[in-house]
Amino acid sequence: MTPFKWYRVTALARKDARELLRNPGAIVPAVLMIFASLFPLFLVIFFVPMIVGKTLEQSGEFSEEALNAMSRMPELAGLSGNALIQTFLFHQFSLLLLLVPIVSATTLATHAVIGEKQSKSLEPLLATPISTLELLAAKTLTPFVFALGLTWVAVVLEVMGTIAIGEAGVWRAILGARLFILFGVLGPLVVLASLEVSVITSSRASDPRSAQQLTALLILPVTAVFVAQLLGLVIVGPAALLLGALACVIFNAVLAWVGVRVFQRETILTRWH
Amino acid sequence: MAAALLVADRLSRMFDERVAVRDVSLSVNAGEIVTLLGPNGAGKTTTMRMLAGLILPTAGRISIDGIELTAGTAARARANVGLLTEAPGLWERLSVHFNLLTYARLQGVADPAASVREALTHVDLLDRASEIAGKLSKGLKQRVAIARALLHKPRALLLDEPTSGLDPASARHVRDLILGLRSEGRAILVTTHNLGEAEELSDRIAVLKTDLLAFDTPAGLRGARARGSRVIIELEGGGRREFAIAATGEIPEIVARLVAEGARIMRVTPDQRSLEDAYLELVGAER
Repeated sequence: MTPFKWYRVTALARKDARELLRNPGAIVPAVLMIFASLFPLFLVIFFVPMIVGKTLEQSGEFSEEALNAMSRMPELAGLSGNALIQTFLFHQFSLLLLLVPIVSATTLATHAVIGEKQSKSLEPLLATPISTLELLAAKTLTPFVFALGLTWVAVVLEVMGTIAIGEAGVWRAILGARLFILFGVLGPLVVLASLEVSVITSSRASDPRSAQQLTALLILPVTAVFVAQLLGLVIVGPAALLLGALACVIFNAVLAWVGVRVFQRETILTRWH
Repeated sequence: MAAALLVADRLSRMFDERVAVRDVSLSVNAGEIVTLLGPNGAGKTTTMRMLAGLILPTAGRISIDGIELTAGTAARARANVGLLTEAPGLWERLSVHFNLLTYARLQGVADPAASVREALTHVDLLDRASEIAGKLSKGLKQRVAIARALLHKPRALLLDEPTSGLDPASARHVRDLILGLRSEGRAILVTTHNLGEAEELSDRIAVLKTDLLAFDTPAGLRGARARGSRVIIELEGGGRREFAIAATGEIPEIVARLVAEGARIMRVTPDQRSLEDAYLELVGAER
């Protein structure tokens, strides 16, 4: 077996990074997703109260849900009034930020793989000493770094927004284990799963959009949990997130097994059209 | 005799139940151009891919610059051969230089930037290095793709339809480039549908239609398929005689016999068949 060489992975990943930066069709949807996922949060906790002229506490919105959540969310301890409701809502809506890694990884990876198909550059690429494992690693490395970077940018923007417009003490309350598990553990795993699904679907699709339609299915579980949270059916705390991360690890392992089989030199050359 | 840098020995390749290539044996020596001819679907690209170490044969043996091709040696074998694919396959948003630099890095050459300069100089495109690949003409893209195949200085080159779709001037440029590469002692295997080009470039020609139908010099191919060839003898006074011959060596005897019979011969024209005739007869195509 050919030894795995990082210089080949980084050579191709650098090329992909340069190509992605010159491809607005790949970058713009990923960047827009940051704002799309932050907008509902700031709409509910800042713009709506500003428009109606009442704080969330004064209008009675989410007060009951926030109080009910106190027993199951240790971060809410010691908070009251508007700060309690804002912190509760930040926790609820932060789950939406998981859409950033999914959407950005999907758009970036499909362009990285299908771009090679469309430019007919896979065959000359495979004619180099690069192994299929190195190729797979290179094709996921750049989108992984970009998608995770964009996710963390979204988190930083969320926290900065909280500091800027939230009640005193709110930002300290949200900087805890939950946020770390959500974006430090689950986030990278979600990015990886999105990338693997994108690579697998890209192998069968001839244009990025059709591949993205399939990988968009990954959005469904996140939105389902988000809606269930809003309805008060579940509270997604650190333990639930760790469980989700474990499920994601298993899902990733299955996807990697499938991905390695799809990414065979002969399969790419003879079946990828 | 020059060393054979590319050797295919009783090569076969199946895709599921379909036989793409069967029992093909050929070799390309250093400083030699061999052209692979055959109709669409004859197995030319499959043969090229096997000789490039991209796919493994189902049966048979391949040697690439002294390396026996196996699953374990394929990466090393690929490093010893340069492949020009049918489509240039450049990254169109990137510059010519960055395209080649990435490939030089993938090939693991010691000084990638110097290799890029050298390869671009080889194809006379050093002054276009900073241009975006997507903005080049098809002929220039093809030359960049040839430069890409030369980055790691392979002694064996595989060129899949190098002049396909090019205008006559660009095609001429690419053919001159190929002839120049031969003079450097490289072993070059070319596929083409252009029989004139095959005749101009080739030291030997292999005709493939799943099986290897012939493997000979262009003259040998014409001669070997000369059964039914004729010689036309024009006589004084406008007379004309035609004789079927098996080989051009029979012509002096025919002439001597006619002269002995008292004929006055004005012109002797061997009705030598073209490479196209020989090729079409081999592949069994209708004209």
